[in-house]
Amino acid sequence: MARKSYQEKLTELREDILYMSEVVMERLRMGLDALEQKDNEMAHEVIKGDGEINRMYLDLEQDCIDLLALQQPVASDLRFIAASFKIITDLERIADLAVNLGEYTLDAKEDLFPDVDVQEMGELTLAMIEDAMIAYDTENIDACRELAARDDDLDQFAERASEIVVRDLIERELDTPEEVEALLQDVSRLLLTIRDLERVGDHAVNIAARTLYMVENDDELIY
Amino acid sequence: MTMSDEQLLSSDTESSDDQPAPTPGTDGLTDSTDIDTGERSATERTLLEARDLSVYYGKEQALDSVDIEIPEKQVTAVIGPSGCGKSTFLRSINRMNDLVDAAHVDGELVFDGKNVYDDDVDPVALRRKIGMVFQKPNPFPKSIRDNVAYGLRVQGKDDGDVDEKVHTALERAALLDEVEAQLDSSGLDLSGGQQQRLCIARAIAPDPDVILMDEPASALDPVATSKIEDLIEELAEEYTVVIVTHNMQQAARISDKTAVFLTGGELVEFDDTDKIFENPEHDRVEDYITGKFG
Repeated sequence: MARKSYQEKLTELREDILYMSEVVMERLRMGLDALEQKDNEMAHEVIKGDGEINRMYLDLEQDCIDLLALQQPVASDLRFIAASFKIITDLERIADLAVNLGEYTLDAKEDLFPDVDVQEMGELTLAMIEDAMIAYDTENIDACRELAARDDDLDQFAERASEIVVRDLIERELDTPEEVEALLQDVSRLLLTIRDLERVGDHAVNIAARTLYMVENDDELIY
Repeated sequence: MTMSDEQLLSSDTESSDDQPAPTPGTDGLTDSTDIDTGERSATERTLLEARDLSVYYGKEQALDSVDIEIPEKQVTAVIGPSGCGKSTFLRSINRMNDLVDAAHVDGELVFDGKNVYDDDVDPVALRRKIGMVFQKPNPFPKSIRDNVAYGLRVQGKDDGDVDEKVHTALERAALLDEVEAQLDSSGLDLSGGQQQRLCIARAIAPDPDVILMDEPASALDPVATSKIEDLIEELAEEYTVVIVTHNMQQAARISDKTAVFLTGGELVEFDDTDKIFENPEHDRVEDYITGKFG
């Protein structure tokens, strides 16, 4: 006879993590929108909402600990909980990066580098998180491996974007120290945005890596 | 110490004591002595091997063509649902099933190169080399000293230094410190956990090669269980331990290898314990250990 409440708790954990991922993706979307539209109100909303994500993370972490301590899971159940334990950390970090986008929005004056398409990069990362979570939900190992390959494209995108910024910076002629200072702040913010989105991609790959371990006991994509 | 032909074949309890301890693998047994696959390290030499072993109680089959190689000086756990044949398997190792009239055995159970079901094997001599500890502690209504010495005397090892051997056995069973001042008290006055360790001392006093344990901690509280589990791990440095347990977490905690029997006496999977509990090969084993079946 299967332990019904135990199986129900495992199902609940999966559903709660999928819900957390939806909230995190929404926050990332809002961070990107705030950045694009210079929407300070939306930026504040993303920043304030981080507490909710943190509470969600801590609750799910406790759920994982309770399952480990009280149910002593083994085999695929153990791998599912171990993978979930790591995946919620990645989701929480993605939410932190969304908060960064909100803070950059509040600091930014104007879009100085129109050739850098932050929004396109953001779309790529959002799609990666969504696909990673679908792979987790459906235990699709092919999708996990495919995500790792897509992260290489994202890394190249980030490298090209950084190059554009640096090249543009070199070519600009600035007259006063104030102009230099203002530009440096904007450049640094943009480079941080690119780096943060590239890290979101890394977290999506981490989710895929843990999912592959969960399904196949395969640590191929972990580091 | 491993078994010699003479030790196994003779029921004369006086005859074997003067034999020098044979060296593992070079003790002049039959050609099949070295059943090491060559893939294992020296510490994983196979000591017990079931070959197509089936056991029947009357017409009912309790073990179904079991093949397994149990390594020397490791803890091998045997798990499975009630009625899966795990205790039958344990009892077939030292021929305890001989005591059941209707029991019938096919196949071979090879101990250190010798089929223990060969006609020339003396079961009493065999049980000297393969001791057993049962679920319920069963000390004799005698003193602690006599409980341990009993095993030696019955098996003809009362050669003058019984006290020393009693001390050694109690020490190996992690009981000496607790009972040293009361060796002449009754074994029945001890707590349940102490009684079980006394039974373990009795089993190891004749210096067997293998200790079989059938649910040795199931009647004990968590503290006593923990002591027995620690002891089992220590015993594996000197002895080969095969333990039947209903407690899967216990199997996971203390064993190096785990054998999973499922209904019908079928050995479904045998592997390193971490492999069994993290990533078993068979869906049926997965379902059993995760509680979806059984």
